Amino acid sequence: MQLDFTSRELTIKLVYYGPALSGKTTNLQSLHRFADDQARGRLMTLETRDDRTLFFDLLPLRFKGEGDLSLRLKLFTVPGQVIHASTRRLVLQGADGIAFIGDSQIAETQNNASAFLDLKENLKANGLQMREIPLVIQFNKRDLPNVRTDEELAQLAARGREPVFSAVATQGQGVLETFMALLHLTWASLDAVHDLRSKFKIDPKAFLNEVLAGMHSTATIDEMLNRSLGGNFEARRKEQPG
Amino acid sequence: MSPLDRSGKQEADLNSLTMGNTIRLEDLVDRNMLHEVVRSFSALFGISMRIFSADGLLLTDCYEQQGLCKVINQIPDGRAACNTTVGEVKRVNPKPDGQEVHACFTGAHYQVASLSYDGRTIGKMVLGPYLPAELREVPAELATTVPSLDPAKAADLLPKFPRARAEIIRQIIDHMRSVLDLILFSGHKALLTSQMHLASVRESYRELQDKNARLQEAYDKLKELDKLKSNFIATVSHELRTPLTSIIGYSEMLSEGIAGDLAADQKEFVVTIREKGEQLLGLIMSLLDLSKLESGTSSLQKAELMVAEVLGDVVSNLKPVARKKSVDLVVGDVDPRATKIHADPTKLRQVLLNLADNALKFTPDEGKIVLSAAVVADENAADDEDGVGFSLLSPAKSYVEIRVADSGIGIPASERDKVFEAFYQVDSSSTREYGGTGLGLAIVKRLVEAHDGKVRIEDNTPCGTVVVVAIPVQASATP
Repeated sequence: MQLDFTSRELTIKLVYYGPALSGKTTNLQSLHRFADDQARGRLMTLETRDDRTLFFDLLPLRFKGEGDLSLRLKLFTVPGQVIHASTRRLVLQGADGIAFIGDSQIAETQNNASAFLDLKENLKANGLQMREIPLVIQFNKRDLPNVRTDEELAQLAARGREPVFSAVATQGQGVLETFMALLHLTWASLDAVHDLRSKFKIDPKAFLNEVLAGMHSTATIDEMLNRSLGGNFEARRKEQPG
Repeated sequence: MSPLDRSGKQEADLNSLTMGNTIRLEDLVDRNMLHEVVRSFSALFGISMRIFSADGLLLTDCYEQQGLCKVINQIPDGRAACNTTVGEVKRVNPKPDGQEVHACFTGAHYQVASLSYDGRTIGKMVLGPYLPAELREVPAELATTVPSLDPAKAADLLPKFPRARAEIIRQIIDHMRSVLDLILFSGHKALLTSQMHLASVRESYRELQDKNARLQEAYDKLKELDKLKSNFIATVSHELRTPLTSIIGYSEMLSEGIAGDLAADQKEFVVTIREKGEQLLGLIMSLLDLSKLESGTSSLQKAELMVAEVLGDVVSNLKPVARKKSVDLVVGDVDPRATKIHADPTKLRQVLLNLADNALKFTPDEGKIVLSAAVVADENAADDEDGVGFSLLSPAKSYVEIRVADSGIGIPASERDKVFEAFYQVDSSSTREYGGTGLGLAIVKRLVEAHDGKVRIEDNTPCGTVVVVAIPVQASATP
């Protein structure tokens, strides 16, 4: 996160993490399509010749809030392939929130788990703990055969701490929900530490609704959050000593 | 708010690059190329164009002075008014993605358009002066601002300004903006890619360093263990030797009748005790030698040696044993060039004694053992198998080869490498037949290698073995 009081500008870094080919880049492409021309920057893809992400994708989004507050979001994806471990660690640096994009296919269960453990390791290498960082999980590719059932996901989600969403990123389903939930959670966590509310004098809910409008959505933030399969939206932060 | 700054500045750089507000027009575009592009624009539309950075720095200037401007600038009033206009134009700062028109007293216009990237202003371009399409007459303001200007001349020169409709100007600006956007986006992407590449390489390097450090640690630990092992053997061997010497000494005294006469059986038993004791002592001494060599505590005391002398010495030492077996032990040909050698006298003597002793052990009665020496060039001195550099390296690296040739039972080719391993004998039954500890050749190999030399085994004709010890003539710089 970067705060600039003189220009009333807040920059937040969100990272889309997950196993190879789980649809991280597709999520960003989908968000890019949703976003208003005023809000979206160009989606930058640092890719290899075979269309796999080499370093990262970067989607900059910007929103104007009341009182001239300018919110800049930098959405990153990490390269999912196992060999790019050091790149993943680098991209993860300074992340304010993480969306974990899992693959719903039963055959990918192990890869999801490995990628999640990898995330945990890399967070640790960056001096962070999993429970401190705002996290949202998305089960993508719900339209494919041989996926885990909705009931199963709901059951798993209910037991976990973080919000879980199901998605079909290629069709844009669940993408905005995941993004808004992550933004909501990240905002709450940053607010708890940096007291953004009183510094910028804004109503977070109204602000998030403006972001939603900038993404051409007619839903409210509460409606979005309610589509979660489970988990809660309690702010994450480093436990203060004492 | 990077929670981590393990490797300092570069990571911060990458962070500010991806998070930041540090994109500068002048960093991302090459000025010469920018000038080329702007010039081609100017040439295409006949209108001057300038590009400024966000800080107001003039990055490129394709300006062609118009005839009227030239005349006006020759008049003091006109020059002052022109400077004022130019100053005003420079101060125009449109909003991001916006543009503004600034009119000159000549009736010409300047179009100032902001250049932005990712919602931030990073510079501006100034198009003009150009004449709006609808302007037909010399404006009155020109006459009042520069009264001394000849109206007829003004009326003549003014139409020579490039003329453009506002619509066209906007299109030019849009087009120029999209060209610059392409350049900026590509530049930014390339910058990010290279920064990311560097950061990844640095990260991988750091990982490798970590791994190397761990390997080094493990290696040091192993080396320490190895040293401990050698020390243990040395200590134990030493401690075994002391009581053993007593056993040998007392059994010798017994056998010599110092404690009273012994019956024949008793004497035989005592002699056996002494013999076995001496055998054990030999084994312990060899173990001690080996552990000394392995732990590296035995250092070489090199000196100039006469090869023929060393060979003669070994032969005379073993002559009595040879005579007992009726084996002919002699010094054969000694290459006159191989007179001197740089080696540790004691160690080299030990090597040759071990070899000659071995040869004696495995050579049947009436056999023959010949010790000889020759100088050879190193066939493998060149850098690779193609013989590159052979002519340079070979003369500098020659060896004195000392050969110990026997007419014994021989060693099969497949066993020749293994015999140099400690406690190895070709046929385990031979230990009983020929005696020995199985350490002799292992010690020989280590001693020769300590001299940077090599030892190998060849066939002898018609039967037997030749052990070849090659010691480099040019002693290595470090003893």
